[in-house]
This record gives sequence, C-alpha cells and structure tokens, in this order.
Amino acid sequence: MEFDGERILDGINLYFNDHEFLTLLGPSGCGKTTTLRIIGGFLTPTSGRVLFDGQCINDVPAYKRQINTVFQRYALFPHLDVYGNIAFGLKVAKLSKEEIQERVQDILAVVGLKGYEHRRIDSLSGGQQQRVAIARALVNRPKVLLLDEPLAALDLRLRKDMQNELKRIQQAMGITFIYVTHDQEEALSMSDTVVVMDKGRIQQIGKPEDIYNEPKNAFVADFIGESNILDGVMLADYKVKFFGRVFECVDKGFAPNEPVDVVIRPEDIDFVPAGEGHLVGTVTSVTFKGLNYDIIVDFRGFKWLIQTTDYHGEGETVGIRLNPEDIHIMHKSEYSGMFGDYSSYSAEYDELTEDVADEEE
Amino acid sequence: MKKTNRILTILIFAFLYLPMLVLIVASFNTGKNLTVFESFTLGNYKDLFQDKDLLGLLGNSLLISILSTAIATGFGTFAAVGIHNLKPRMRKTVMSLTNIPMTNPDIVTGISLSLLFVFIGTTLLHQKESLNFWTLLIAHITFNLPYVILNVMPKLKQMDPALQDAAMDLGCTPAQSFFKVTLHEIMPGIISGAIMAFTMSLDDFVISYFVTGSGFLTLPIEIYSYTKKPMQPRVYAMFTLLFLLIFVLMVVMNLLQIRSERKKTAKQETTKSGRIFRRVCAGFCAVAIFFGAGWLIFSTRQDKVTLNVMNWGQNIADGSDETMDIIAAFEEKYPHIDVNYTTYESNESLYAKLAGGGVTVDLIIPSDYMIARLIDEDMLNPLNFDNIPNYKYVQERFKNTAYDPDNAYSVPYTWGTVGIIYNTKFVDEADVTGWELLWNEKYAGKILMFDNSRDAFGITQFLEGISINTTDTKELQQAANKLAQQNPLVRQYVMDQIYGAMEDENAWIAPYYAGDCMMMMDANENLQFYLPEEQGFNLFIDAMCVPKCSENQKEAELLINFLCEPEISGANMDYICYASPIEGARDHMDEYLAESQVIYPEDSILEKGTSYLFLPPEVNRLMDNLFMEVRISGGDTSESEEEPSALPVILTFAGLGIAAAFLFLPKKKTKRN
Repeated sequence: MEFDGERILDGINLYFNDHEFLTLLGPSGCGKTTTLRIIGGFLTPTSGRVLFDGQCINDVPAYKRQINTVFQRYALFPHLDVYGNIAFGLKVAKLSKEEIQERVQDILAVVGLKGYEHRRIDSLSGGQQQRVAIARALVNRPKVLLLDEPLAALDLRLRKDMQNELKRIQQAMGITFIYVTHDQEEALSMSDTVVVMDKGRIQQIGKPEDIYNEPKNAFVADFIGESNILDGVMLADYKVKFFGRVFECVDKGFAPNEPVDVVIRPEDIDFVPAGEGHLVGTVTSVTFKGLNYDIIVDFRGFKWLIQTTDYHGEGETVGIRLNPEDIHIMHKSEYSGMFGDYSSYSAEYDELTEDVADEEE
Repeated sequence: MKKTNRILTILIFAFLYLPMLVLIVASFNTGKNLTVFESFTLGNYKDLFQDKDLLGLLGNSLLISILSTAIATGFGTFAAVGIHNLKPRMRKTVMSLTNIPMTNPDIVTGISLSLLFVFIGTTLLHQKESLNFWTLLIAHITFNLPYVILNVMPKLKQMDPALQDAAMDLGCTPAQSFFKVTLHEIMPGIISGAIMAFTMSLDDFVISYFVTGSGFLTLPIEIYSYTKKPMQPRVYAMFTLLFLLIFVLMVVMNLLQIRSERKKTAKQETTKSGRIFRRVCAGFCAVAIFFGAGWLIFSTRQDKVTLNVMNWGQNIADGSDETMDIIAAFEEKYPHIDVNYTTYESNESLYAKLAGGGVTVDLIIPSDYMIARLIDEDMLNPLNFDNIPNYKYVQERFKNTAYDPDNAYSVPYTWGTVGIIYNTKFVDEADVTGWELLWNEKYAGKILMFDNSRDAFGITQFLEGISINTTDTKELQQAANKLAQQNPLVRQYVMDQIYGAMEDENAWIAPYYAGDCMMMMDANENLQFYLPEEQGFNLFIDAMCVPKCSENQKEAELLINFLCEPEISGANMDYICYASPIEGARDHMDEYLAESQVIYPEDSILEKGTSYLFLPPEVNRLMDNLFMEVRISGGDTSESEEEPSALPVILTFAGLGIAAAFLFLPKKKTKRN
C-alpha cells in the first residue's frame, strides 16, 4: 500500500480465521489503521489482494462488503437518535419494519442499552455511545467486525469494563473481530491472535502468551511488556554468553557463536544476597508501583529494570540469579540496540508512550 | 466599560433599525410628506392591495428569487460537496474562483451577462427577444451560487469525515450516504446560504436591470425608475410588509434553532423543528411552482397581442390619486391587446436599451433631440397616419418640428419648459431677473443645479447668449468656464433629489422642468416658478415613436391614436402635470392645472423657447467631459486639458486601496486559522 508516494504497508500477509478475535497491535503510524481501512473497503491497495471467503474483494466497494466497522470516535449520526442510528443499516437494506424493530431490540439487549431507544446521541456518555456504535455495526450481522481503537476515548475504568463486554459479545455472537489498538495490555487480554506491527510490516503473529514469552525481536520484546535486552553470543545450543559469563538457557538452533539479543523480563529476575548472585549491581532508583517496586539496578554501567515485591533501598548492593527459563534468545534484527536499556528510565515512562501512540496517520 | 458597551450596542441597534422604523411610520401616514406625520391611516395598505401592477411586480420578484434560490441552493450544495472532495490546493483555487464573482462589481457582472445573453440569443439562436425571464433567472442563479457555496463549505469542513465512511460501511452507496447523512449535517449551512441568496436576489437591481427584457420586470427595477415623482406611500406599505415578513421568518427560524438546541440536552423525542422546517420548505416550493406555472400559463396565452410600451417613469396616468387609468381604459376598448408597460429613466438609457438589441418594444416616448438621433440612426419606423386619425387634434405648433421636419416618425405626447423654481421666503424678488439668479453669490450653498450636461450647458448658454445647439468647441469651453464659476455656490447637482431639497427648504433656488416644479409648488406654497423669457429657455417635447424592433406597429398606432384623444390626453396631463400638445385637451384638464401659467405659458412667451437638437456624438462627449470636470475640480476648466484631471488620480488611489485590502485581508484570515 502506498499513500502519497510513501510506502505505508509492506508485505502484509495475514489470515483471519472464522470466529477469531484478532488484534492488530502497534505504535501510531505503524499501518494498523491503514490495514483495517483496506479490509473495510475505504482504501484500495496499490498492490496485493484482499480475499474474503476465497474471493478477491479488492474492487468490492465498502457498502457491498459483509464487513462492518466500529470507528475510532464512533462516527454516530448526530441527527438520529439511538434507535435511528442502530436501524440505519437495516433501513438501507430495506428490511421490513417488524424485522428492524426486532433486531434493534435484540441488539440493544446485547449491548445493555434497553430503554435508550429514543435518546439523542449527544445526551449519551462516552461508554453508551461506544455501545451504540457497536450495536449499529453488529445489528447488520456482519461476518467480520472491524474495531478501530474503539476504547481509546474512554477512561481507564470504563475501558476495562468494555474490554470484558467486547469479549463477551464476540463470544456470544460468534463473529470474527479484527481489533486495532496500540494498548498492549488490551491486546493481550482480549485476543485469540495478536499481530504486532511496526513501520508497515508485521513483526510477529501469535497467541498472546507466545508473543509475550517468545518475542521475535527487540521491538516486540519491548513493545509487549517491559524487557531488558542485552547483547550476547550463542556459544552452542542451550549456552549463551553475556556480561562475560556463560548462562544456561532453553533456546537452541542458532549458529555457533552467533551474536544474539538476550531478553530478560523484569518480573522474572530474583534478588539474592550480593555474594550469591550471578551478577552484582547497585540500586540506582526505586519506584513504588502498587503491586510491586520498579527497581533500576546498575550492572557494570548497564541499567536493568527489575520488578519485585521485595524492597531494596537506593545505593544498596544486590545480587541476582537468572534461571535458564528466564532467558529468552532472539536473532539480531534491525531493532537490536534500540530497546531494552533503562539508562534513561523514569517513572513517567509508561504514560509517555501512551500519549505518543494516540493518533494514526 | 460595561456602560459604554451598552450604549454602543443601543446605538448600533438604533442605526440598524431606525430607518425601518421611519419606513413603517411613513407607511401609516396620510400625508405624502415624509417629514410630517399627519394622521394614521391604513389607506396605503388598501391602495397597495388594489394596485395590481405593484402586486404583479412583487409577484415577479418573489418568483425570480424563490426559483433562483431553490435552483442555486441545489446546484451550490452539490458544487460545494464537489469542491470539498478536491485536493487541498485545487480546492483553494476553485474557492477563490467562485468567490471572485461575488466581489465583482454588480455592474460588471450585469453588463457581461447581458452581452453574453444577447450574443447567444440574437447571434446564435436568432431570437427576436434574447433578454427575457429565463435570462433573468439564469443571471440570478449565477450570482446566488457563490453565496450558497460559501455557506455550505464550512459545514462540510466541520463534519466528521468518518460519518460518510460509517454510512458506506452500513450499506449506503455514496449517493445514499450524501442524502442520508451529509445533507443533514450541512443543512444549517444550506439554509443560511439559501436565505442569503434569497435576499440578494429579491433586492437585486443592477444585474437584473441589464439582463431582463421589457417582458419581465422585477420590483427593484420598477422602483428605481420612479424618478420623476416622489415615492408613492403604498410602496412604503409594501416594503413594511416585506420587512415584517423577513423579520418574522428570521425570528421563527431562530426560535426553532434554539428549541432544537434545547432538545439536544433534554430527553425529547422526534425532531419537530426539522418537520416544521421541511413544511416551510415545501410551502416555499409550492409557492414557487404555483407562481411559475401561473406565469407560464399567462405568458403562453397567445390569443392576445402583447404591446410593449416603454415610457418615462410615472409618465402616464395610472388610476392613482383619482386620476384615470389610461392603460386599463385602452385595454378595455381593445380587448385583444395586452399592454406590457415598462419604464426608463433617461433618454440616454432608452437609447442604450434599443441600441443594445435583444428587446422588442412597440412604442417609446423619447424627447425631441433623442428622436432626431434615432431618426438619424435609422432606428424608428415611419408611422402610418391612416391608423392615427386623431393626429388632426395635434396643434400646428407641434408639427414640422426641427427634430421631425416631415412629421413622419413621431406624434407629440407632452411638452414643457425649463425654468427656475425658487423659495419666496428666502429669495429677494428683486434678484429674480434671469438665469443669473443661479450665479448669485448671495445665495451660495442654497443653489441646486441640473445633474445632466445637456440641461446644465443649455442654461449657461442661454445666459451667455450662445446657441444651445452649438457644436463650437470654444463656445462650449466658454459655457464650461461659466459653470465652473458657479460650482462653489452649488449645494448639490441633482435630478429627482430636487423634490426633497426644495420642499424641505434645504435649497432655495434650482432650475427644473415646469411640470415637476408644479408638483413641488403643490407641496410647499412658498415655492414659485420663473421663466427667464428674455434670455431664452428650453422648450422640450416628448413624442411617441415606433422603434424598428417593433412587432405590433398597428397596435402601437392604435394606442398613439387613443392618447391623442383630447379627453384622454387631458386626463393624462392631470396626473403627469405637463402640457398637452392636443387641441382641446386643456378643456378636459383640472382647472387649476389648465389655468396655470407654469404649465401653459402664453404663446407670446413660448415663441422665445428653443428646443434641443441632435448633436454629433463627439460634441455630446465633449460636453459630458467638461461637465464632469466642472463637477469634480470646480476650478478653471480651461487649464484642465493640459493638467491631468482629478478623476484618474482618485480612481488610481481607490484601486490601490482595494488592491491593498485584497493583499492584506486573506493573510489575516490564514493567520487566524
């Protein structure tokens, strides 16, 4: 897909299974919304094909596709009330009045908006508008429902509720959901399959657990959760060397002495008394996070993020142990060296990334 | 600060609404004088609703504005959507292109449209009458379009583009999504555009004037031609009703808007305002269709001969003020003839209309020198006097005139003199000795002067003892110098504004046509008329002619004959206050007028009058230029041939100012964005 001469999507090759909850996850500008718009029929790809039940639908306009969309800011029709909005697609399809009535009532029950039929759109709360938008799309009984960051405009509490709601609706209706988000937590908790995208390319496709536990490259490792990423060398199967020390690991199949990225999740690291550790470092900062402390430890100039429930004060010398299953080895990629160093870590780190990843295109 | 704000607000409202208030008060006034409220009456409204002509013109105006608004709103909305979907750079270009016609002076738009219509109609389609209802409609649609586009565009910009995607997503074709979603979103813009277009169209004069033929006139065109007499009070009544209609319409619309906005927050059911609005729209459309159908039926009624008459404004008795309705009487006598009566405001504008082509006119009533010119340029048909037996009533004095020596082309209609009207309260009788009264420094600032070159030069030439028909450049220069001397004393150069100025005693001395002076004297008893018989004065004759473009010469001659009947002519003069050239007409006139020395001077005096003759165009042009210089510089005009006159300088500065405004204004706007 090219847009204004710039390549936006490159080599996207995706399969969607029936009744699947699939999420396109990536930072802003990664091409996930563009992918969605191509599927929805609002953009025509400059090359490549979109297949639907084996049929090429490149030339099928949006209004003829059996696909419906929940738009980023809902795009509800302000001149119609709740009922009018939901019944819109059915009226266009020229269904009988009785059937429209019945189907609207059914879907209102599904989204929990019974009794709101004649409310004006702008008298609804954000969450209610969200439900109307979902009902409006679902009432047409599409084979695929596209959701473009549908929860981005809601506050945290409401977002959590709606996540559960969406998952429930998807399971109840048995429809394929294609969900676009930049929120990795949302993606992991709701999806059957997660597609991580960056720079118009698919970085990794897999189940949420696989994506988390076995990221393919530094980008995925960093984008999904927090990761300490270190340079290492794979000496042999199950043997990796980093920080001048050989560790046992569970990965194999690398060329001998291949340089690799080593991922260690902050929550997998256990503190031990300084003398007993594989590595010894100094605590440089401690942040209380509620469930745990985020502790930054300096190991010979390389700062690690460690999440632990044990408190260690600043300036304390600590040791850590790494078990073989805590170490994940990745091939080197274009992202190597860009992520996984917490030298510039600050408490606002999380919020910052979320703010940046707000708008697409 | 708050106080000054409030005072300013009140002042602004006063400025905005005071004129309307005066108009409304005037519409209930029994007196004709605007400045004095005599007593309350509804008579003006009664007159209005009995005046079929005026109501017909109002109908025409409404028909044109409603039709053109409806069509322009439709096209404009689609155009706006099209422009909105262009790429940004292209969109900007197209927008400025659509805005240019709006900033274009109306007169330029009017003339260029007129040229185009005449070219297409006459040259390409070989139509007899290329300017008609349809050209007027097209012109109105043309100038309405930008207003609609300008109002709709911002609404399109405000609209969430995802709404269209959403509609398509739910199964709408692009066309359906426009009608089901976009249209609702941009409706406020469409409505305000339509209202703007409607008001623009309703009061347009300049463009309409150039693009309509004699067959279809609108209210503004007619009103602007009321130059010879003050406005009739029934016109105030009509404007009052129009103003109130628009006022009520706007208030209702605002109320509906407020109500629908309140509904947005409250939990209410269906959108009633929308339904009401739809009903109002439907009502408007129905009215437009009704008018349109009526007009079409009316205009295609072919069993009657339509006689197109063009006359000076208010130059025929029309049944008002207990006078006779001459046209109605004529139509009653000849039921197969339908008179279509239109007006012009000067000989020159009549000439321009005829020379421009594209019109069908059967009967015109120009003045002597213009008749000479029309004969000279072969624009008149010789009359068939077998159809005009009443020609025998025409007094010998008005036969074999200088302008039509063979009595072949014209039959006189009225005649009159140009003299001085003055206020006896302020002007010393001893000073009233001749035309020099207009140069008397004692009355500096209280003197009015003709605002047309021929009459202004004529007076000066009588004073200086030069022929009023001179073509000698030196003599014309001499007259111009004399006029320049007068300039510092002149309060204002006027035509019909003379009525107010003299009646309200703002000015004391002015030269004017005797018939009009008679009417002013009627309104203010201090006014007196004086004819400088020793120095000489202009004796003018307006006569009836049939132009070359006529299609119904025989019927025109029937009307000429009818107007020559002494009884009819007399009754006619009662209204227009001029003298009749018809023998015996005086006997049928109101005694007061018939005996008036102002209207009918004694024959011995009349012999000293001189008529204007046709002058070559270059002389007319020279006279116009000299007069313009007199009016602008007021200085010695003899030097002006070497020195650049002030006009180009003023125009240059004005042009630079406008250019600067154009350069700076858009910048500010973009900054704000």
